Amino acid sequence: MGVTANVVGKLEELPSASSIAIKTGVNSYFDVLRAIVDVFPARHDLYVFYVSSTIPSKNIENLFNLLGIESNRVFFVDTISHLMKESTEFSDRFLYIESPTMLEYIMLKIEYLVRKYTDKKAVVILDSVNSMSIYNGSKIMSEFLHILVTSLRSWDAYMIILSMKEQNTSEIDAMLNMVCDDIYDVEEVE
Amino acid sequence: MADSGRDRCKTGIAGLDSILNGGIPRGNTILITGSCGTGKTTLSLEFLVHGALMGERSMYISVTEAPEKLVDNMITYDFFDKKLINEKKLILVDLQEIYVKLGLEKLEFTLEDVNILVSQIVKIVKELGIKRLVIDSITSICYRLTSKEEIREFILHLGKELSDLGCTTILISELLHSSEGYSQYGVEEAIADGIIFMGNLERRGDLLRTIQVIKMRGTTHSRAKYVLDLTPIGVLLAPLLKGGSSEVT
Repeated sequence: MGVTANVVGKLEELPSASSIAIKTGVNSYFDVLRAIVDVFPARHDLYVFYVSSTIPSKNIENLFNLLGIESNRVFFVDTISHLMKESTEFSDRFLYIESPTMLEYIMLKIEYLVRKYTDKKAVVILDSVNSMSIYNGSKIMSEFLHILVTSLRSWDAYMIILSMKEQNTSEIDAMLNMVCDDIYDVEEVE
Repeated sequence: MADSGRDRCKTGIAGLDSILNGGIPRGNTILITGSCGTGKTTLSLEFLVHGALMGERSMYISVTEAPEKLVDNMITYDFFDKKLINEKKLILVDLQEIYVKLGLEKLEFTLEDVNILVSQIVKIVKELGIKRLVIDSITSICYRLTSKEEIREFILHLGKELSDLGCTTILISELLHSSEGYSQYGVEEAIADGIIFMGNLERRGDLLRTIQVIKMRGTTHSRAKYVLDLTPIGVLLAPLLKGGSSEVT
């Protein structure tokens, strides 16, 4: 089986409203994205609330288009475009936060989306814990993830935290172990 | 502390009602205080709109903003319905019109003027059956009073009369950045039944809007600081993360 199918298979095993960290290498990143943004949410008719802290949301959307991923169901909480002075579109599909250090506003934007778009359940994707950790210390990051995961559980939403293997540290691993229900280590497929 | 039995006036702001263990104790007169741009007017308007939607007639007495401008601001809320105004469930009043009616167009008020003003506000509340009242701002009324005793008398008298009518009242207090305490004149905070402080917190160059319930008679409540966001579905609150912050305001 390929990476996408494996990741989807893992997500299918999870109970509703679970939180999972997916550790992936750069080579598998696009396949993982296809699994978590396209295949799994489409199968369960979920909204995707995508927190981007690595690449501006518009670039991610372009990437989805190139990969043939349907992005209508995706809402971005973009923490990086302001820093990069990227041009921005203002709508509920593109919510901007001035900096990845404004962690409370990430929680608030997610809460806004969860409360406003109530006709479907949601999966929240954090891409990635590594880039968030560049801007935030481990103590505040752990606190943030713990509150976010707990809140999402009470709102019956899935949480997927992406972690890039090439940038992982023991501190990040410890944090993910502490806050997530499960951790999935993506095997590279030749 | 007396949580039992006291009827609550739900603000309709989920995070705030949770902080207050169900809402503001009905009949309380509370101070919402903070410097400009911290969200005081937005929060108090939302309190009124939710009240009107729940069938409690609500009134906003504005000293600084024209009612039309307030309506324009409220239209951005997903939950606002202009019918609330047309059907007089939500009433916007320009205080200047009351001043004119009472012949109080002067810079300084005497104690007698204060009593006339309070009586007029109470009369309106009584006649219209108002259950939620916001005065924005109490600071600009107190500006016309010449002593702390007059300010004390004004707020005590107003609060007592409105409480007897079962009206829950928010007094908005403007704070200067340099102000100490929670009110401009130092008197308002001591008399009010509750104080909700709205501020800005600077953390490594980011400016976060915050809210904190300092006191609220008649209920137990959280005294922690929360971060707030003003959204089209209303004010949302999240706990302030503690992982190493330094505060300026």
